Amino acid sequence: MKTIDLGKRTLRRRDMLALMGGAAATGALGLPAWAQEAKKGGVLKVAAPANPSSLDPATGGAGSDHSILWTMYDTLVEWDYETLKPKPGMAKWSFPDPKTMVLDISAGIKFHDGTPMDAEAVKFNLDRNRTDQRSNIKPDLSSVDSAEVTGPLQVTLKLKNPDTALPAILSDRAGMMVSPTNIKALGNETDRKPVGAGPWKFVRWNDNEIIVVTRHADYWRPGRPYLDGIEFNIITENATALRSVVAGQNDMAFALPARLKPVIERAKNLTTVSSPTLYCIQLYLNYARAPLDNLKVRQAINFALDRDAFVKATLSGLGEPARMTLPSSHWAFNKDVAGMYPHNPEKAKQLLAEAGYKDGLELTIGGYTDQDSVRRGEVIQDQLGKAGIRVKFTRGTIAEISAQFFATEKKFDLLVSAWTGRPDPSMTYGLGFDKDAYYNAGRTADPELSKLIKESRVSEDLAKRAEVFAKIQRITVENALSAPLAFQFELDALSEKVKGFKPNLLGKPKFENISLG
Amino acid sequence: MIAAPSSGVNLHMFNSARLRIIGRRLLQAIPVIVLSTFIVFGLLKLVPGDVAVTLAGDNASDQRIAEIRELYGLNQPFFLQYGSWLWKAMHGDLSNSLISNESVLTSIQRCLPHTLLIVALALLTALIIGIPLGIAAATKPGSWIDSIVMAIASLGVAVPNFWLGMLLVAFFSLQLNWLPATGAAPLMKDPWAALSHAILPALALASGGIAEVARQLRSSLVEILSSQQVRTLHAKGLPPSSILWRHGLKNVSVNLLTVVSLLANRMLAATVVVEAVFAIPGMGGLIVNAAMHRDFPVVQGVVFAMVLIVVTLNLLTDILYSVLDPRISS
Repeated sequence: MKTIDLGKRTLRRRDMLALMGGAAATGALGLPAWAQEAKKGGVLKVAAPANPSSLDPATGGAGSDHSILWTMYDTLVEWDYETLKPKPGMAKWSFPDPKTMVLDISAGIKFHDGTPMDAEAVKFNLDRNRTDQRSNIKPDLSSVDSAEVTGPLQVTLKLKNPDTALPAILSDRAGMMVSPTNIKALGNETDRKPVGAGPWKFVRWNDNEIIVVTRHADYWRPGRPYLDGIEFNIITENATALRSVVAGQNDMAFALPARLKPVIERAKNLTTVSSPTLYCIQLYLNYARAPLDNLKVRQAINFALDRDAFVKATLSGLGEPARMTLPSSHWAFNKDVAGMYPHNPEKAKQLLAEAGYKDGLELTIGGYTDQDSVRRGEVIQDQLGKAGIRVKFTRGTIAEISAQFFATEKKFDLLVSAWTGRPDPSMTYGLGFDKDAYYNAGRTADPELSKLIKESRVSEDLAKRAEVFAKIQRITVENALSAPLAFQFELDALSEKVKGFKPNLLGKPKFENISLG
Repeated sequence: MIAAPSSGVNLHMFNSARLRIIGRRLLQAIPVIVLSTFIVFGLLKLVPGDVAVTLAGDNASDQRIAEIRELYGLNQPFFLQYGSWLWKAMHGDLSNSLISNESVLTSIQRCLPHTLLIVALALLTALIIGIPLGIAAATKPGSWIDSIVMAIASLGVAVPNFWLGMLLVAFFSLQLNWLPATGAAPLMKDPWAALSHAILPALALASGGIAEVARQLRSSLVEILSSQQVRTLHAKGLPPSSILWRHGLKNVSVNLLTVVSLLANRMLAATVVVEAVFAIPGMGGLIVNAAMHRDFPVVQGVVFAMVLIVVTLNLLTDILYSVLDPRISS
């Protein structure tokens, strides 16, 4: 058993960079020699945690789809694994003025069906993504007014308003390019016959059973990919997924819950990978109505929570206590507001008394039925109870409970759930806190906050954007608009022959660096 | 109630009276299918949660969810939605999954063999182990063999099959590495791999069945072996083995058939849990996943298939009843 714990990200930043850069540092760290010659060939067998919602990036919707989609679709923009800072993918981008974005596409890229990945194809995709009736990602591109072909390999986007989140957005679903030939031929039946320009091409998808991809011979990056193919065996029960790796039927299982860490460590010949992600376990608050429209009650909840104990009790320590919706290693983290709510049940009681709840109060709360969610709920119930906040739980499936909380019914004052993270922080705040956003159950927002969310997309300079995000975080934290609890670390189990795997901050594995030893 | 051995077994499975029974039962199956799919459809619509939310994806706005409802016809009246499903189903079209767009018929064709294989294997195991145990216990009621068999039977009923499944995996797959821990293989393409994948889940599923068969067989055999007719047979000088095999077992066969038929139905239902433990892409996994996301065409399709199977099993049981005991058909 080997452990690669990338947990203390901030302390190890330099080490991490060295690790990414070359083989020199790996020996010193006692880690496997990732950067050694990668062997070509072999089929990787992966236990995948969920059946995809669709293999068409525009019509799907589940956050768990990405790891599978990325094998078949390359994106216009990519990101740095550890910071999620955007970097060129199939295209380079520039902003000649704040309301114009130019995409210069790399030459010689071909889709799996031979269609050239050129300016026409990019325009086709962007237009489809922002206008097609079946597209779920229209809002991502709402700032785009038009996409024009301005050269064989150049597309110019005219924007309605400045939007510097676009590079990050184009590293997500909206930037996954699909073959126009394929889409035109298939009409509405695009979900199950994906043709992209990624390192592997589609072979087969049996629902809830298997997805197979095989090497794309004309892949544009020389020498890549290493693997001849990938077989995703869909196993939704994560203890079973891990057993399949222990028994050698799969080479890798990802997105495992922290409670399985001892099982991985007990198994011989398995490597544990754990690494920070943007996945934020938190309490969502419906602050449009009583009693949570009262700031003091919301603050009391935040003071009542003991985040360090939460990480220990529910994540076996595999997590970072959350002070806001971004982890401390993120480029837009605002450390000035991080210490606002230390664990202080007395202060919470005092705030409740000031709010008129001298004898405490009862809140309704929604939660899910899986083992991890139930445990989280129990810890929260205990912590809030010590400050005089009694919670009444209703549990159900994710689809059921989250719809009851976020959609029209508006049940429960609180919801124990998670924010899965987005490549650009403006998406996180726009989707979670803006007026009328789905993940803002009350649908209300301070106009100042809405203004700042827009403003966060104006400058291209990360330092300037970070200043705006600092203001946004101050508003969300000071007003206690949510109660973030912990950033869950990614936990993966790899068999010994899997070489070169690197986790990323998004917590959704990419397989491009993997080879089989 | 002893059937006279001389009356013989009626081997004409399909005489006219029996064909009439088959016809009547098949007609009866239609309202059963309509009613059960209607109830399931109603339940899916009654419980909170909405497939439109899943379809609209993680970033959905209220407006997008409304659009999706419109796009997929999810805002139509309840009866219209059910009616259009039923109309299509009657014409052999079980629709596509709302979420992944796979044809429901394709899913069922792929998943059903996996499930049937486990159930068949489990039934076989239950009979192969359960019958000798039951006979051993019945021939010496009150003896230590009897006590041991009954203890095993109680244990078999009490042990949850998912837990037994995990133990079996831990020992046979992870320790000894004899059999695969998860998954399934297509029976037609690779029978050996299919069997090796099915053995552990079938064993887990069979534990309750073994117990049931042994207990039921014992109690009915004990009753018959202590009957006056058997006493007469003893008096006549017939050897005990021939009494047991020719007279005893033939007379409990109807009881045994009832047990087997009930077991088959119960095992079909229990595959939901066992398939999850062994990550078998069968009918159980199919319906659980679909029900979670309110993917009703898939749920409806699985219920449809399951009802058909159960109705067929019951029909087969009835026919076998009258074959084993001709008095039943009248």
